[in-house]
Amino acid sequence: MKTIPRRKFIQSTAMAGGALLLLPELQAGRLLDIQPSGNYFMKEFGIDETLCHKLLAKALSRGGDYADLYFEFTVSNYLGLEDAKVNQSYGDISLGVGIRTVKGDQIGYGYTQELTEESMLSAAATAATLCDMNATPVSISFTRPKVGNYYPVALDFNGIPAKVKLPLLQTINQKCFALSPEIAKVNAGFSNAVKRIMIVTSDGTIAEDIIPSGYIYASVVAERNGKREQSFWNLGGRRDFSYYTDDVINQVATKAVNNALILFDAIQPPAGEMPVVLGPGVTGILLHEAIGHGMEADFNRKNISTYSTMLGKKVAEPFITIIDDATNMNLAGSLNVDDEGTPGKKTMLVENGILTSYIHDRISAKHYGVEPTGNGRRQDFQNYPIPRMRNTYMLGSSASVEDVIKQAGNGIYVENVSNGQVKIGEGDFAFYVSQGRLIENGKLTSPIKDVNIMGNGPKMLANITMAANDLEMYYGGAGQCGKNGQGVPVSFGLPTCLVKSLTVGGTQQKGGQS
Amino acid sequence: MSFKKDQQQEFRELANWVIDQAKQAGANDCRVNISKRRSVEINYRDRKPEVIKEATTQGLYLEVFINNRFAGRSTPDFRKLTLSGFITDLIDNALIMEEDPFRTLPDPKYYAGRSTTDLQLADPAQAQLTPEERHAMAKAVEDACLQQGGSKVISVEAGESDDTYEEFIKSSNGFEGSARSTYCNVGASMTAQDEGDRRPAGYHYIGCRYRSDLPSLQEIGKTAANRTLDLMGGKKIATETLPVILENRGAARVLSGLLNPMSGGSIQQKRSFLADKKDQTFGSKLLTVQDDPFLLRGLGSRLYDEDGFPAKKRDLIIEGRVNEFLIDWYYSRKLGWEPTSGGISNLIIPPGTRSIDDIIKDLGRCILVTDYIGGNSNSTTGDFSVGIIGKLFDKGQFVQNVAEMNIADNHLKFWNKLVEVGNDPWIYSQARFPSLVFDGVVVAGI
Repeated sequence: MKTIPRRKFIQSTAMAGGALLLLPELQAGRLLDIQPSGNYFMKEFGIDETLCHKLLAKALSRGGDYADLYFEFTVSNYLGLEDAKVNQSYGDISLGVGIRTVKGDQIGYGYTQELTEESMLSAAATAATLCDMNATPVSISFTRPKVGNYYPVALDFNGIPAKVKLPLLQTINQKCFALSPEIAKVNAGFSNAVKRIMIVTSDGTIAEDIIPSGYIYASVVAERNGKREQSFWNLGGRRDFSYYTDDVINQVATKAVNNALILFDAIQPPAGEMPVVLGPGVTGILLHEAIGHGMEADFNRKNISTYSTMLGKKVAEPFITIIDDATNMNLAGSLNVDDEGTPGKKTMLVENGILTSYIHDRISAKHYGVEPTGNGRRQDFQNYPIPRMRNTYMLGSSASVEDVIKQAGNGIYVENVSNGQVKIGEGDFAFYVSQGRLIENGKLTSPIKDVNIMGNGPKMLANITMAANDLEMYYGGAGQCGKNGQGVPVSFGLPTCLVKSLTVGGTQQKGGQS
Repeated sequence: MSFKKDQQQEFRELANWVIDQAKQAGANDCRVNISKRRSVEINYRDRKPEVIKEATTQGLYLEVFINNRFAGRSTPDFRKLTLSGFITDLIDNALIMEEDPFRTLPDPKYYAGRSTTDLQLADPAQAQLTPEERHAMAKAVEDACLQQGGSKVISVEAGESDDTYEEFIKSSNGFEGSARSTYCNVGASMTAQDEGDRRPAGYHYIGCRYRSDLPSLQEIGKTAANRTLDLMGGKKIATETLPVILENRGAARVLSGLLNPMSGGSIQQKRSFLADKKDQTFGSKLLTVQDDPFLLRGLGSRLYDEDGFPAKKRDLIIEGRVNEFLIDWYYSRKLGWEPTSGGISNLIIPPGTRSIDDIIKDLGRCILVTDYIGGNSNSTTGDFSVGIIGKLFDKGQFVQNVAEMNIADNHLKFWNKLVEVGNDPWIYSQARFPSLVFDGVVVAGI
C-alpha cells in the first residue's frame, strides 16, 4: 500500500501552510500571538463556549461519566542538509478536534479535521456510541485552571523565515568537516513544530497551551583505513528559536564527530552477565523504558504490570528517588497542561526506595481514587490520551563517579544508548549500546559499541547499588516515546549508577570462544 | 466506508487544479498526492468495549521543483482559497533552498510499462461491515482467547480494526496513478500469571486485505492464548553457541538489517556495508530474497512505486549474492546509476521443504526465536544486536522457554550461517518469510 511518506509528514512542515483562511497568523513576516491562554481557537476558528457545550452534550447524549474536546493546530517544519546543501524542506499542517466520551475505563472516540459544527457533531456522535443510557449533563460554565509556563516562547519558529534557519545547518556542516579530516559525510537537520491545543471538558475545565518542540542534529560518517563509523547527536526540546545559538551548533557538531571517531577503536565486549555502570544523562532512557513504563497506571489498573502489587512497597535501595516531572524548564517532556486539561506537575514515583505513585491520566486516577498527575498525553487529535511519562529522572546520591566505576570491578560502562524496548508484564527490557567502555579492574579501558544490554526492569532497579552525585538530564529534542504507536516527546535523566548485573549481548563468549 | 463512485474524478480535478496553480506560481514541475482514509477500531477487554474509535482523514501532499530547488508540504485542508496560499508559500520556501541539480521529477520515460493487473487490494465486502459485526468479531476472538487461557489469564484485550484507503497521484510531467485498498486486522493480546511477579504477555494479530482471508476468529483467539502460555517460565540460560531458528513471522526483524544498506541513500551517503558487494556473495546459498509487487491481495502489492516507476518483480539477493540494489530516482542521479526502484513491495524468501518440527528434531540443542525485544542494526558496519524470546529444544524435545537473551553478530558473517529454510512462509505480512535456521550463533544469557 502506498501512502504519503509519514516520515516526511512528521519531520516536516510548513513555514506557511495554507495561509489565507485557516492560518491567518502565518502570513509572511507576522509573528504569532504567543500567549498560551489567548482564546486562540475562539478567535481563529470561532470555537466558542456555546459550541463546545453543544459538542460535549452530543458526546454525552447517550450517557457516560464525562466527555472532553481536544482541539489541535500544529505547524511543523523540517529542513535537511545533505552533501553540503540545504536541499530538503518538508512541512505539515495538522488541524482537527478529537472528541472523547468516557464511561468507567471505556472510551468512545471520534475525530475530524473539519472544524465545522456539522463535522464536529458527527465526531461527537461517534464517541457517544459507547453508551446507551440517559444523557449526562454538561457543566454550564467553564473555568481555566492555573498553569505554569515551562517553555516561554519569545521567537516562534513560524515567525522565522526559512532563510534565517538555513545557516544553522550550513554551519554544522562546516564545523563537522573542520573538526576532522576523517569525516566523509555529514547530514544535518532542523526539525521544529508549534502545537496549539485547547481542551474543554464536560465538568467545566477549559485550558489552552502553545507548545514549541524541535531539535537540530548532525549525523556523520567517518572513514579511517577503509573502515567507516557513524554517529548522531542532537540538542533541542521545548525551546524557541533563540536557543539555537553558535554554542549549541558547536556542541552538536563536536559531539557527533567525536563519538564517531572513538568508535574506530571500539571492540565488542564479552557476552554474558556482568556489572554495568550507566553513565549520566542519555542513559536515563533506561529509567524511562525499563522502569517508568511499568509504573504507568493503565498497565497497573489492568493488573498487567509487575508493579501492580508494589504500591507502598520497597522497590529500590533507600538512596533512590525517581521523579516524573512536567515542570522542568524547556525539556522535551515539559508540559504546562496535559492533554486532558490537568496542569503540569511534579510526581514522585519512588521516594527513598518506596513506590509512592503511579503515572496517572484521568481514567486511572479515578480508578485508584487519587488526583490525576497530569500525565494524560496523546500524539495528536487523532488519538485519545493515555498515561505517559514526561521528564523522568533519578536523583543523584553521594558517591563519586570514580568510586562507582571502581566498585564495578570488571564490566561495561554505558555512555550512549538507543532503541530500547520493554515487555511490561515480564519487566524484561533490551537496549542498544551505541557507545561505551569496558571496565577492567575498576578502570575505564577500551571503547565498546553495537551491543545490547538486557535485563529485567524491576530487578535492575533493585540492583542499583550505587549512584553518584552527577544527575544529568537529556537535552535532546529527538527523544520520542512510542507507547501504543503514539509518539510524544520525552526527556529523562540519570546520575552515574552501578547495576550489579545485566546481560551484555556480545558476539564473544566469556573466555574468548566465538 | 464504501469507495465513493466519483472520488477518483474529484481527486483528479483537484490535482489538475493544484498543478496548474503551482505552475502559474512559478514551479517548473510538481507532483501531488491526494488521499483519504476511513479507519474504525473496536477493542474489548473484560468482555466489554474498551475503545470505540472511528474517523475519516484526508491529506494533500505537494512537492514542487523550481530551478533545481525543492520543497514538499502536506495539508488536510482541500479548500481552494486555502490551497492557493499553501501553494505560493510552498514555492517561496522552495526558492530559499540551495540548488541541487539531482532533485527533479523522474524522466517520464521511466513511467512507461505499468501493468494494469487487478491486484485485488480492495475488499468490496468491507463496506457492508456493520458496527454489530465488528463487535461480534472482537467478542469472538476475546471469548476464544479467554477460554484457551483458562485460569492463567490476567487480562485479555481483543480487537478489530479496518481501514479503507484511496489515493490519487499526478505529476506535471505525465505520471498519473491511483490506488484503492482495504485492510482488516483482528487479534488479541493476553497477559498471564507466571511464577512470582512475572506476567508474560503474548499476542496474535492477523491482518489482510479481504476479511474472507482471515483464519477463523476462534483460531486467532486460541493462538493468542497459546502464544502467551508458551512464554510461561521463560528464563535466560548460560551464554552458549548453538543453532538458532528465527520463526517465520519475526524473521524480518533481523533481515531488515540488510535492506537499509541496499538503498541508494545509504550507498551514496557511505552508510552501507553492502555498497561494494554488488554481484558478490556475502551469505549462504539458501538466502534468496525476491520483491514481488504483484501478489494478489498482498499487503505490499502495488502497480507503481514512490517515483511512479512501474512495479516489477525482481530478485534482490540470489543465493547469497547481492543482485539488485534499491535505487530511487534521486539517488540514481547522485550515484550516476540506472534507477531500479527505491522501495519494496512484498518480500519473499522461497520456502524449503521441511517443517520446523522436523528440522528441530535434527538440530540437537537449539533455540526457536518467537519474539524480539529492542536491538538495532548498524547499516554502516553491519553489526547488529537484538534481544530474543523463545524456546529451547534438545533433539526435538522441548526443554524450557527462554527470555532475557540476546543474539549479536555482523550481517556479513551471520547470513553465512543460514543452513536451512523452513516450508512455512508467513502469509499475513509484507515479508512472506519462512522460518530460517542458523548454525553456530552466540546466544548471550547468564
